[in-house]
Amino acid sequence: MADPDPAAAVVRVRGITKRFGGATALDDVSLDFYPGEIHAVMGMNGAGKSTLVQLLSGALNPDVGHLEVGGQAQSHLTARRARRLGVATVPQRRELVMSLTVAENIMLGDLPSRGSLVRWKPARRAARAALDALGIGIDIDALAGELTVAEQTMVEVAREVRRGGRVLILDEPTACLGAEAAAQIRDLVCRLRDGGVSVVFISHHIAEVLGLADRITVLRDGVVVWTGLAKETDVGDVVRTLVGRDVVSRRPQRAGAAPQVGLSVRRLGHGRHIDDFTVEVRRGEVVAVLGPAGDAQSRLFDLLSGRRRPDRGRLEVDGAAVPFGRVSRSLASGLRCVTGDRRRLGLIPDLSVDENLLLARDRLDGRLLHRWKLLARRAAPLRTDYRVVSLAANPPVGLLSGGNQQKVLLAKWLGTAPVACLLEDPTNGVDVAAMADIHTLVDALAAGGVAVLLASSSAEEVMRLADRVVVVRDGRMIAEYGIGSITRDELVAVALGGALS
Amino acid sequence: MSTHPSTATAAGTPARPHRAQSRRPSLPHAGLLLVLVLIVVFASARTDAFLTTNNLLNVLRQVSVVSVIAAGLTLLMTAGGMDFSMGGNVAVTTSVAAQLLAHGEPVWLTVVVAIALATAIGLVNGAVVTFTRVAPFVATLATATLLDGVALLIINGLSVSIGTELFPLGNSTTLGLPNLLIVAVLVLAATAFVMRYTTFGRDAFAIGGNEDVARLSGISVARDKLVLYGLAGALSGLAGIMLLARLGAASPGTGGLTLQLTAVAAVVIGGTSLAGGRGTVFGTVLGVLLLGVVANVLNLLQISSYYQQISVGAVLLIAAIANLLQRRRT
Repeated sequence: MADPDPAAAVVRVRGITKRFGGATALDDVSLDFYPGEIHAVMGMNGAGKSTLVQLLSGALNPDVGHLEVGGQAQSHLTARRARRLGVATVPQRRELVMSLTVAENIMLGDLPSRGSLVRWKPARRAARAALDALGIGIDIDALAGELTVAEQTMVEVAREVRRGGRVLILDEPTACLGAEAAAQIRDLVCRLRDGGVSVVFISHHIAEVLGLADRITVLRDGVVVWTGLAKETDVGDVVRTLVGRDVVSRRPQRAGAAPQVGLSVRRLGHGRHIDDFTVEVRRGEVVAVLGPAGDAQSRLFDLLSGRRRPDRGRLEVDGAAVPFGRVSRSLASGLRCVTGDRRRLGLIPDLSVDENLLLARDRLDGRLLHRWKLLARRAAPLRTDYRVVSLAANPPVGLLSGGNQQKVLLAKWLGTAPVACLLEDPTNGVDVAAMADIHTLVDALAAGGVAVLLASSSAEEVMRLADRVVVVRDGRMIAEYGIGSITRDELVAVALGGALS
Repeated sequence: MSTHPSTATAAGTPARPHRAQSRRPSLPHAGLLLVLVLIVVFASARTDAFLTTNNLLNVLRQVSVVSVIAAGLTLLMTAGGMDFSMGGNVAVTTSVAAQLLAHGEPVWLTVVVAIALATAIGLVNGAVVTFTRVAPFVATLATATLLDGVALLIINGLSVSIGTELFPLGNSTTLGLPNLLIVAVLVLAATAFVMRYTTFGRDAFAIGGNEDVARLSGISVARDKLVLYGLAGALSGLAGIMLLARLGAASPGTGGLTLQLTAVAAVVIGGTSLAGGRGTVFGTVLGVLLLGVVANVLNLLQISSYYQQISVGAVLLIAAIANLLQRRRT
């Protein structure tokens, strides 16, 4: 397939440079986006993907260079103008009004009315048509807040297409989704392409991108280092191009676990969400709990951290019973729970990186005074060990890229000498290099004699990290394996509900 | 977002601007300072009476009471709390203190009782907000109304004079500075220190920024909140004593919602977020000064009280917008 005629491009990025202060986020970037094509943009955290998305959607304007939309140069693009030109973005955070119905969300700002009265019949009909056109079978009268994340993404896509989106920018639409839901989103993306939409697909998931995209562009340090057809490349090439070197994340030879049980959860039960869940993790061992996103493994954080009190069950850390429902008791036992939802439960975005790094440790140490110079000095080794990279010296943590925020989160907890820890989806939304770093950190944690319980919805991650895996579905444990006695594909089959005994 | 001295500039190491700041180095609260300077310039051009030592000291003495309330409120609001009953608390405190003094109780006992009572009122607010999870706005608005009524009951709707009991605090000076001002400066400095250099103060930022994260990080959110509301109460008590000292009597309408709203306005003008997570004592000081100076200038220019109210509202609006514009730019 030869390069299509540049004149056919619906959006052309011409020589764009964007700087923030002294840092160059994008450097002379030129790209073309064609109708009926899925164009994946890949890059490490901080490579400039987000900046590119913001430029395309009119949230930022370039310092040098310009955009051409539909053959016309756009000098001062605003979010509103971009949308009118048909460039629509579906951001990582859902932008639906959760208390309104699907139909209202789709018709938001464009409800058919007579005078000032809403005409509900045509509104619902139009919403239904918008969903049907994309083959989405969601009840239009459901509340947006009651939908799954995947369904919310679909509704948002349908809304943008109905508003006349010809270029759809999907920012990590499959992050945090289970395998099945991710597949549904990928199907939708293919239908969009077949309908002539130009899809800009942002994802960290290399295998997914290779299977889905027509064209791939790789950004590194703000520069386009490679752009070409997906079928002409492979995983190894993409990783090398992304990182600029080979990245190997392989299971290390791990010394056997110690005989003492570091973390023991017995007969844990909480409503319909988790039923009769029992697991024992020895010190130095990594045990994974694998299940579809949102299943029993996602409840463990709330229950073990002390945020919620389960209906029944028993928790022991290092042989000592820990009462449920008290954060302070959970922390005092040496148990550290690292959330998979860093925005809501992990970090305080307005506080600086250093302060977030030491937020928990300083409280555990019972420090009374907050000495800023000392803070910077004490945070420095954590930053180095966990490879936290930021453009400025000590910005509010909310300004860091996702991968770096995730590392800050891990450093915040794992830097406090844990006895046992619960890690919930520890590589959620991070790039390959950061993922490899985090995997190494978890290895080191186990090697240091910590009992690690890993709550995950990713079979790859479980295969890479765990010594044993417990598979859960519908709140129940359905199987348990030593990691050597099962292959990845078998594990996926079990997790998805295939029978394997 | 970047005009956040407590986290951005207090960090000890210079030259650590984050992304946006490095584009244009900016003074925190520059917009607010500019408005204040403009008003001072305008006032001194219009009337000679403004820039006299006497008048300026008078302004400072007048804003002392509100700044003590505003200091407590800054800390509380940074932690995502709100106390609308501080003015009502002041009213109760002044009434009780006035009655005690009028009945011949010694000054020290009066001060101790008044501040203890005010702290207890604050703790009750804190307990209601922390343990029942009623919105702070609603809960403290209710106590505010209640306290205003109680204050009237205590003085039976009449003015209670205290003679010259607290005269030195309210009207004397030390080294040329009004004693009221000295108390206020001490309170403000202590609050600023707590917010910047103690774990308790940083807890407030964490709780206001994200209460769930704060709790999971091992911060005793409930205890901190109780202390914060108790502190707000204690400072209301102190402000009550100061007000009584200045006025020499407790009358119906002393303190109350008017005083409360001035304090809230000053804190919000100063850039403390109503949603929590952000706040500086310096901003609050500017807010208090701005309101005090405007009121003083209007008085000096002998502008009718109707117009005074309109002007204060207008200044509030302008200052709030100036603050916001600056925050957006940086």
